[in-house]
Amino acid sequence: MLQVKQVAKAFSGFQAIAKADLTVPKGQVVAVIGPNGAGKSTLFNLITGHLRPDKGHILFKGEEIGGLSAHDICRKGVARSFQLINIFPRLNTFENVQVAVLARYRKTNKLFTPARKLVVEETNDVLHKLGLIPYRERLCNSLSYGDQKVLELAIALGSQPEILLLDEPTAGMSPEETRTIVKLIKNLAQNEGLTILLTEHDMDLVFDVAERLMVLHQGQTIAEGSPEEVRRDKAVQNAYLGETG
Amino acid sequence: MDAGALGSQLVLGLSRGMLYFIVAAGLTLVFGVLRIINFAHGSFYMLGAFLSFTVTEMMGKQNPNGFWLALVVAPLVVAAFSIMIERGLLRFVYGQEHLIQMLLTYSLVLIFGDLVKMVWGTEFKSVSVPGIFIGNLSLAGIIIPVYYVFMLVVGPLVALGLWLFLTQTVTGKICRATATDRQMVDVLGINSTRVFGTVFALGGWLAGLGGALMAPMVNIGMGMDTSMVVYAFLVVVVGGLGNIWGTLISALILGVAEALGVLFLPNLAIVVPYVVIGILLIIRPSGLLKSVW
Amino acid sequence: MQLRRIIPWIMLAVLLVLPPVLPRYYLYLLASIFVIALLATSLNFILGFGGLLQLHHAVFFGVGAYTFSILLLKTPLPFVVAVVAGPVAAAFTALLIGWFCVRSRGLYFGMLTLALGQLVWAVIFRWSALTGGDDGLHGIPVPEVFNSLKTAYYVTLTVLTVCLAVLYLILKSPFGLTLMATRDNPVRSESVGINIRRHRLAAFVIAGFFAGIAGVLFVLVEKSVSPSLLSWSKSAEIMIMCLLGGLTTFYGPALGAGIIVFLSMKVGTYTEYWLLVLGIILLVLVLVLPQGILGFLAEKYSGRGGDKGGWGKDASG
Repeated sequence: MLQVKQVAKAFSGFQAIAKADLTVPKGQVVAVIGPNGAGKSTLFNLITGHLRPDKGHILFKGEEIGGLSAHDICRKGVARSFQLINIFPRLNTFENVQVAVLARYRKTNKLFTPARKLVVEETNDVLHKLGLIPYRERLCNSLSYGDQKVLELAIALGSQPEILLLDEPTAGMSPEETRTIVKLIKNLAQNEGLTILLTEHDMDLVFDVAERLMVLHQGQTIAEGSPEEVRRDKAVQNAYLGETG
Repeated sequence: MDAGALGSQLVLGLSRGMLYFIVAAGLTLVFGVLRIINFAHGSFYMLGAFLSFTVTEMMGKQNPNGFWLALVVAPLVVAAFSIMIERGLLRFVYGQEHLIQMLLTYSLVLIFGDLVKMVWGTEFKSVSVPGIFIGNLSLAGIIIPVYYVFMLVVGPLVALGLWLFLTQTVTGKICRATATDRQMVDVLGINSTRVFGTVFALGGWLAGLGGALMAPMVNIGMGMDTSMVVYAFLVVVVGGLGNIWGTLISALILGVAEALGVLFLPNLAIVVPYVVIGILLIIRPSGLLKSVW
Repeated sequence: MQLRRIIPWIMLAVLLVLPPVLPRYYLYLLASIFVIALLATSLNFILGFGGLLQLHHAVFFGVGAYTFSILLLKTPLPFVVAVVAGPVAAAFTALLIGWFCVRSRGLYFGMLTLALGQLVWAVIFRWSALTGGDDGLHGIPVPEVFNSLKTAYYVTLTVLTVCLAVLYLILKSPFGLTLMATRDNPVRSESVGINIRRHRLAAFVIAGFFAGIAGVLFVLVEKSVSPSLLSWSKSAEIMIMCLLGGLTTFYGPALGAGIIVFLSMKVGTYTEYWLLVLGIILLVLVLVLPQGILGFLAEKYSGRGGDKGGWGKDASG
């Protein structure tokens, strides 16, 4: 479904991504792992159009998307959540998700229909799936950190994507909040058949949810395959797993 | 139209450009380091011109030293005002939104405008130049007032001074670092707000200097603040916000464009610089040289 | 909060029944306020709700007023055509200026609006043959009914009411919600599939259109135009009104316009230093009450006052 081929990106001399390759098959949960500064977030930004690749190809369903603008890529069916909370602070929870749903249905240009009457069902659906219904009317900068992180996910789901990119979905969460998120991710993958690409620090979580792994080290893909294959890979053991034991 | 007139007009444009540079440099410096758009910069410029008038008046109209004394005193007084404003007002809005900061400086425009009216009245004032600047210089058919030649000397001197300040002094280096990468400066444990007062005073000094230099060439009066600040902004934007060398280039381009406009399209002269600005911004929306921001 | 819903209706009712008991001077004052209230509200549509640093909004006001006046004065075109042409010309100017501005964000956006706005001002100032230059145009031949102050009063009030209603609807529509989303978080907006440049441009044009309507109204009341209509200090004055009333509130700018226009006329009769007074008001406002009058009241009396986080911190992104 998503293929990254030989992609490179440099920032004023610093080679953030040297040579990244990645294949995400339809319906699978794939994780990109690697130490801090390996270029995971940069890779995500390249895929979602927040950055433009210097070299290489990014194919979504066989179509080149590298270098397209972020909104075009989203409209093709690629949605993402962010590592740091990245929501609309002065809208309420419902509106936060509704914006994404409206954009999905290309209804953002409607001028005279009250917004509160549009895509209500679809929005509530997403909120319901993630257990956010109780906070519907709350201004979202008054939500707890954990709930904001879930909202982060909800906004991404509001785009009704074919592939969902999650950048460190559990960063900074308590063990309990983490369990909730893991349950949500598994649910999305198994019951909704969503294709998911994620980065994560928590190795237990990665090996728990991911069906396929890609290891990024100093901007290079050094291994790709099933969790077992990656676990056995010598280069990976040296570069990464060795450090964490 | 002969080559001589064209040449004279070009030189006039360059010397006018130098003046724009001196004023706009202060604006861009303050923007680069403090990240504040200081609308009161034009008021500082106007204040410089009025102070220059007062100083020459006190020294006696015909005393040639009056002009030189004004050139020293007026910018310093304006710089002192600037420090008071930075310490007394601006520092309370660091970290606020741009709009709030901008409107704070705009309130100073209104206040200074009326204060100047109270102190100096609404009549136009004028300052005369020392004897050595009276008359024209003629070279290969190009005729140009001596005072403009003086500006052509002062402009590069100011540029050189700024360059030395920014590259050779510790404060200057902190300024440059703050302008390019504020986060890095914070990480290094340098308190960037420490240099804010200095930079703001320097900005005020430059505006005051510009006013004092301009004083003999114009009718000093109300309204010279906003017309200059808008112009200085355009110079700064075209040059690349916060980039002093971009400011120098764009100030010269605008000065020359203005002068050539007077020559070729006398009726539309005041439109020409704006058209040039428009074109430059369309070609290079983020300014001629790399903006520091 | 029921009261908040009713207050605008009460205001409207009072304004509708006032004219018979008001002296002429106040009729004129209020009509002037209605005009500027519409102008300020149109600015706040993009400034407060769109997070766009529009520094030269008076340009659209001026373009609307000048287009209307020139058509009436120098062409045989019917009145209705001129009325429509004013806002359309303003919207078209907004499209041209906005097309360049929306490519950049934050302060850069602001500087571009200022630069391009000054360009328009310079053209109008200089093109004496058409615009009357520094002197402006006087004695615009508006239909005779507008010579009555009462008519002018009711017309401006009606247009203001309709325009505010339309702008309110737009803000409550998907377009408005999306606009606020682009203000709150441009990056995230893009990644949910919003074309923020296009969306901002559309908002810019809408704001320009309504500023143009205000321009036409201005001519109906004053029957003259001058370059000061689109001077930079005029633009700053409207921004002050928005700030005074409250940038995150819908009626704030109209309230701010009322206060500033009223004060300028009143203070102006006592002292020639009105701008000094305005400067001090602004200074105090910025330091003490940056959320504005209605913003402050909203914070105090309702849950949604959490808007305090303020205006464009995210907008500069």
